[in-house]
Amino acid sequence: MLSRVSTGGLLLASLLFSACSDDTATSEADGSPAYDDAQARAVINHYADLALAGYSDALAQAQVLRDSIDTLLAEPSEANLAAARQAWRDARVPYMQTEVFRFVNTVVDEWEGQVNAWPLDEGLIDYVDDSYQAVMGNPGARANIIASESLKIGEQQLDLTELNADLLAGLNELGGSEANVATGYHAIEFLLWGQDLNGTGPGAGERPATDFATGDNATGGHNQRRRDYLKVVTDLLIDDLEAMVAQWQPEQDNYRAELEADSVENGLRKMLFGMGSLSLGELAGERMKVALAAHSPEDEHDCFSDNTHFSHFYNGKGIENVYLGEYQRVNGETLSGPSLSDLVAASDPQADKALKAHFDASEAALQALVDSAEKGVYFDQLIAPGNADGAATVNAAINALVEQTTSIEKAALVLEIQALNPDTANHSF
Amino acid sequence: MRFAIVLVSVLALSACSNPREEVTTRLANQVLLPAHEQWLASNIALVKSSRAWCAGEQELADLKQTFHATQAAWSHLQPLMVGPLSEGNRSWQVQFWPDKRNMVARQTEALLEQSPEPTQQQVDEASVVVQGLTAFEYVLFDENTDVAANQDRYCPLLIGIARHQQALSQEVLDLWQQSGGMLDQLISFPNDRYASADEALGGILRVQITGVDTLKKKLGTPMGRLNSGVPQPYQAEAWRSRHSTENLLASLGGAQAVWERVRSLVGDAKLVSQIDAAYKSVSDKLEALPAPLMEIVQDPAGKASLQALYQDLDTLENLQQVDLAQHLGIQIGFNANDGD
Repeated sequence: MLSRVSTGGLLLASLLFSACSDDTATSEADGSPAYDDAQARAVINHYADLALAGYSDALAQAQVLRDSIDTLLAEPSEANLAAARQAWRDARVPYMQTEVFRFVNTVVDEWEGQVNAWPLDEGLIDYVDDSYQAVMGNPGARANIIASESLKIGEQQLDLTELNADLLAGLNELGGSEANVATGYHAIEFLLWGQDLNGTGPGAGERPATDFATGDNATGGHNQRRRDYLKVVTDLLIDDLEAMVAQWQPEQDNYRAELEADSVENGLRKMLFGMGSLSLGELAGERMKVALAAHSPEDEHDCFSDNTHFSHFYNGKGIENVYLGEYQRVNGETLSGPSLSDLVAASDPQADKALKAHFDASEAALQALVDSAEKGVYFDQLIAPGNADGAATVNAAINALVEQTTSIEKAALVLEIQALNPDTANHSF
Repeated sequence: MRFAIVLVSVLALSACSNPREEVTTRLANQVLLPAHEQWLASNIALVKSSRAWCAGEQELADLKQTFHATQAAWSHLQPLMVGPLSEGNRSWQVQFWPDKRNMVARQTEALLEQSPEPTQQQVDEASVVVQGLTAFEYVLFDENTDVAANQDRYCPLLIGIARHQQALSQEVLDLWQQSGGMLDQLISFPNDRYASADEALGGILRVQITGVDTLKKKLGTPMGRLNSGVPQPYQAEAWRSRHSTENLLASLGGAQAVWERVRSLVGDAKLVSQIDAAYKSVSDKLEALPAPLMEIVQDPAGKASLQALYQDLDTLENLQQVDLAQHLGIQIGFNANDGD
């Protein structure tokens, strides 16, 4: 009798299942695996190849940036400053495409703060205008490292006499404030452009080249320290990128080896979670919606240079790269190989097609930000109060990314990945 | 033997009436819709109270009390804001948090410099930063506004904000109640939003789980979890009114109201008691906090209790996001906090 009842229980369970879950993944029901294991492993290996190529390109472009900064420091002319600024913009193209490797690969997350932290209280680094608004309660907000040879934060007295990489890296998150960013792309950006004092009006930072001069025409004050600072942070960026390239080299004792030794399911989960996190929370949310809703140019990603349109565009490209297994390198070559798209298409061609259509739509929506900037209306003008057309352009990009994220979730379901967050996916009772 | 078969078929029959559909219907009628109605009611009260105080017919303390009630209704609603309120810019118009750079003060004062008596249209077209409860709180509680002595300066804006909130909550409630609106979409399937009750339930749970994640953020940010452990008191929600803890409790209550209805779907008694215990533990610890959150985070003696509270919230989140989701076979997708 007891066994009968429990048979009934089983039957009941299966009826319940069929009655209540009309739309769940079909592959579960027929018992066949959602993907071929060996093929999935090749997809993860290729993901690592994409990371390697992306960080290698970012490194190469940072070296070009260093050369142009050396030229600027040797001869601080407006032409050389313009060239250095262009080199910075070029360096962002590959780097922004690597941000999709954040959020899930701990080695990247732990490293990223020193490289691309944002938004920053730039008064930590150099002189700022009286209108400057820092984070409430940030003790380092007006520290002005360039103008100061020592700094007192609370009980702590810091010796700033010699500007070197260890000192500057150690000043990140000074006094515990995440807005204290002393190093990385945005510190270099601030040094090359200066503050953008135009709010939501036209124009970017306008630092004169003479801020780096040491002769009679020098402006800004403390110019030797400003020159040292720029040199040191640029070299540090290169060191950091070299270290990250090394983490993705094949057949080494590094992070890549760890990723490849982990389960296939975890590898796929990481790829998808990185894509969705960048798409929704970071790019659509932190980088666009906050700035738009509050009309706040201080929450613009590249707020000194007004290069935000390209940063957003290449962030979007990076998400697509991971799905398609493709990356167009700086030298024009295309790296392509086994992809998530292949895996999804093998079980559900419709889901694959839908996600690709969402990538096309979000790329077009992000392209509209670029087109607008090329016509002279930059991201910080699009978010101006009362600019309805601008808000519509930014909202279209936000919405396309939100919809794309839903489609990424569906692709994950096709691969039978329900718990997307790798931090919690392995949690058990 | 015969008894067993009959029993099974009766149960199977009721299975086909779909317990998930029943739970979803109950959630919609008993939890989600009433929370939206209460939010509207609290805003109507805020308009009334603002007008009364500005006309000299009410004490400032009464207006502050009404404001706290509006904040509580909104906090309760946050883990429940599936559908219209979460779309477009709507929820952003209610509250602006975190406000690290004190944009609320700057934008509020800038608006009043530009338009000393802002019209309703000006408030409705302004930045979300000045349209919501955060700006209202700034005016009522910031030490620099001295609102009691500056009624002329601030009253038009206070009434404008309250009216904006009332209109917003009315608009959202209409979108719930109209034919084919949100309420219908949670009750009859398939529809434009959900193919099945399963999807709708998944949508509700996702919002609720995001709500619990947001509670962690609201606690962890002032504790300094993003800032090497250095406390950030000004990044506490509602620091000016010293009401962070009350808000957290109201949000927890909203989340728990969802769990109370979902519980019947969970066949695993151990999981049920774990989740029940997690809610109780978080709620007990919140109620036991001895002072406003912005003060406790600055007091080294408070660190251990906040840490324990954070840990309990983390446990609650994991139990729902991982174990409950897995048990119910529901995918919990991305939320706006991922990537932070």
